[in-house]
Amino acid sequence: MTSTLRGVVERHDVIVCAGSGGVGKTTTAAAIALWGAQRGRRAAVLTIDPARRLADSLGLPLAGGSEVVVPAALLRENGIVLRGSLSAMMLDQKGAWDSLVERHAPSAEVRDRILRNRFYQHLSQSFAGSQEYMAIEELARLRDSGRYDLIVVDTPPSRHALEFLEAPQRIADFLDRRIVRWFVKPYVAAGWSALRLLNRTAGFVLRALEEAAGVGVLAEISDFFAGMQGLFDGMNERMERVYRVLKSQKTAFVLVSSPEEEVLEEAEYLSDEMRALGMPLRAVVFNRVHEEFTEPVDDDDVPRGAIGGGEWRRVQAALERAGIAPADLARRLARNFAAYQDVARGDGLRLEMFSRGLPRQVPIARVPNFAGDLHQLSALARMHPYLFGGA
Amino acid sequence: MKRRTEDAATEPASPLERRLVFLAGKGGVGKSTVATALALVAVRRRKRVLLLGLDSDDRGRDVAGLRPAPGAEPVEVLPGLFRQNVEGRAALEEYLRLVVPVRRVLQAVFDSRVYQYFVAAAPGLKELMAIGKIWYEVDRGRWDLVIVDSPATGHALQYLRMPKAAYETFTTGLVHREAKRVWDLLRDPASTAVSVVTVAEELPVNETVAICREIREQLALPPGCLFVNRVHAPDLSAAELGPAAARPRGGRPADEALCRAALAAAEEEIAWGALNESYGRRLAAETGWRLVKLPFLFREEFGFGDVEALSRLIEPVVAPAAKPRPGREEPQR
Ligand SMILES: Nc1ncnc2c1ncn2[C@@H]1O[C@H](COP(=O)(O)OP(=O)(O)OP(=O)(O)O)[C@@H](O)[C@H]1O
Ligand SMILES: Nc1ncnc2c1ncn2[C@@H]1O[C@H](COP(=O)(O)OP(=O)(O)OP(=O)(O)O)[C@@H](O)[C@H]1O
Ligand SMILES: [Mg+2]
Ligand SMILES: [Mg+2]
Repeated sequence: MTSTLRGVVERHDVIVCAGSGGVGKTTTAAAIALWGAQRGRRAAVLTIDPARRLADSLGLPLAGGSEVVVPAALLRENGIVLRGSLSAMMLDQKGAWDSLVERHAPSAEVRDRILRNRFYQHLSQSFAGSQEYMAIEELARLRDSGRYDLIVVDTPPSRHALEFLEAPQRIADFLDRRIVRWFVKPYVAAGWSALRLLNRTAGFVLRALEEAAGVGVLAEISDFFAGMQGLFDGMNERMERVYRVLKSQKTAFVLVSSPEEEVLEEAEYLSDEMRALGMPLRAVVFNRVHEEFTEPVDDDDVPRGAIGGGEWRRVQAALERAGIAPADLARRLARNFAAYQDVARGDGLRLEMFSRGLPRQVPIARVPNFAGDLHQLSALARMHPYLFGGA
Repeated sequence: MKRRTEDAATEPASPLERRLVFLAGKGGVGKSTVATALALVAVRRRKRVLLLGLDSDDRGRDVAGLRPAPGAEPVEVLPGLFRQNVEGRAALEEYLRLVVPVRRVLQAVFDSRVYQYFVAAAPGLKELMAIGKIWYEVDRGRWDLVIVDSPATGHALQYLRMPKAAYETFTTGLVHREAKRVWDLLRDPASTAVSVVTVAEELPVNETVAICREIREQLALPPGCLFVNRVHAPDLSAAELGPAAARPRGGRPADEALCRAALAAAEEEIAWGALNESYGRRLAAETGWRLVKLPFLFREEFGFGDVEALSRLIEPVVAPAAKPRPGREEPQR
């Protein structure tokens, strides 16, 4: 039996949509959740930074926050009937670290101390991995709530899907208590100079840092880490829980890719690495594909197959013969058609190459490049036949 | 509020007259394509150009087939065009080599856990070092023009924010001094232009409007052009298509599917044209930046020749001949 994306969604409780920037992760995640809800699942989509109008059509409030049930009125307006239910939740992109601090600070005092820290304020925007970590933590929370039997997770853009999977570990490393101590201890104990005597290399590094940064700032950095240390007590347990969800048999990773992607060249690498991490790739959505036209077979003497770029004259002749368009319009129509066929042929070739690098059982769904708006619920449903097949 | 870009006072000079052109933008919109096209224009004008990729690992495909070489030194990929990748960690090590001449000490530092940890974790350090490296390349006077192509994630603003953040966070010391030098270069309109690349579709446009605002208002950096890539400009109209589609069909039955497909492709192209057109207008109205449009090229495989073709199309706009002031470039098919 060949595997399909439909089967993958049916067999799993959690679907994670990963891929690089702008390929359609958010749109695809919303479409999958909607489909599940239509077919009776209690579905939730955990989305990141959707287009404003997609957020509107999911009934999401302006700022991030908690889950909302997609309003019945919105569904009705779009002529959508759910046998199950659909909730959506938007993760706040900018404030991911602030939310982490707020959620896990042991006390209001520690929370304020971190949020007020100058070092933190200036640089928290560039802490890596916080969004990814927040997404995964929210996922674990939603899953444990037991309110949903299908959770679809959208992910932030990454250079490749692996980045998302590695994020929790990066955060954990960042907050590794044993190392954080290096930054905290000198101030708590006898000052930097004591450490210098202990370890010449560390001493050198610290002296260089001190000189580079100025002593006042180091105190602030140290204070920041001291605050963070308290903040992440219990980090290990949370990490374990999060990885349990990611590695569960009920969680499936779906790669969303455009036909122009570099990632196409590294399919094999990617699926190997993901398997090694214990989080195998289950399906691929090839989004915004231009489909090639193939002529129906008949017993005429017209050559058949795809329309090559140089064959626009033949198309023009057909248009004229059919009486559809006068010569000038027919020529422009034919050239435009041939141009689209060029792109389609390229997409087809790249897809072909790509699928060769994938394990056989990983299904690929191809979604066309729709000319126009995909931000309404009704428009999302246009993706369904391509993602899940007819019916 | 709409700014008048036509204003002589605010009209940005040709980006190629600066020493540093920084290209920001969302992933996949064509930053590398535009960066390479700009570089080709400059090279044709006999400039010595360094095209810097920011944090792009070697696995990334190179749009023009000019694969950047790993390693610290710029490589000449075409006469007058040099390429190099900047990676924060490597830049930091290069920098430390300059300030710590004793190799044994240096190796011990690189091997130490504190250092490893610090580099991995210190927020913004890699960005700061990468942008410091860019400063160094501009400052050393080897190039007429340095073009920076930013990576797929995070639209590059984190790099531009870093010197200012570091400069304000560290009020004394080496970091303060170095960050200030970089910051002074970035905000000098005679030296630097921060350009943005986008496509005219909803989501990228929303992001682009925010990016442009941050560049101009929060960061107060000198804006360059707004490159709108992949613009569909159909030579077909809905008005002529309607009657054609409605006309009764004659001809061979075998032609029927082909004709239908050709009409569908026309509709698709017209829809994209309208979409790009309306988002293009929104971009112009909401940013006030000068738009430079690049046509969508229908290709089986996009390659160096296509980047070259795009570079010829933008040339009159980005590098106007001395006298007549440039109008807005309309894309050609
Ligand atoms: N099949 C499609 N046809 C046409 N447009 C599409 C299609 N899929 C997505 N889009 C459009 O492409 C844009 C990007 O889609 P989306 O926001 O889902 O991407 P993303 O991968 O989540 O982006 P990011 O990495 O920035 O989060 C949106 O404007 C969306 O409407
Ligand atoms: N004007 C164009 N017409 C047709 N295709 C284009 C055009 N510009 C870019 N492309 C296609 O889009 C792809 C992505 O372009 P490019 O690599 O320049 O984007 P990028 O913004 O640098 O991406 P990344 O953020 O991943 O670095 C190219 O490989 C090419 O296939
Ligand atoms: Mg998204
Ligand atoms: Mg690029």
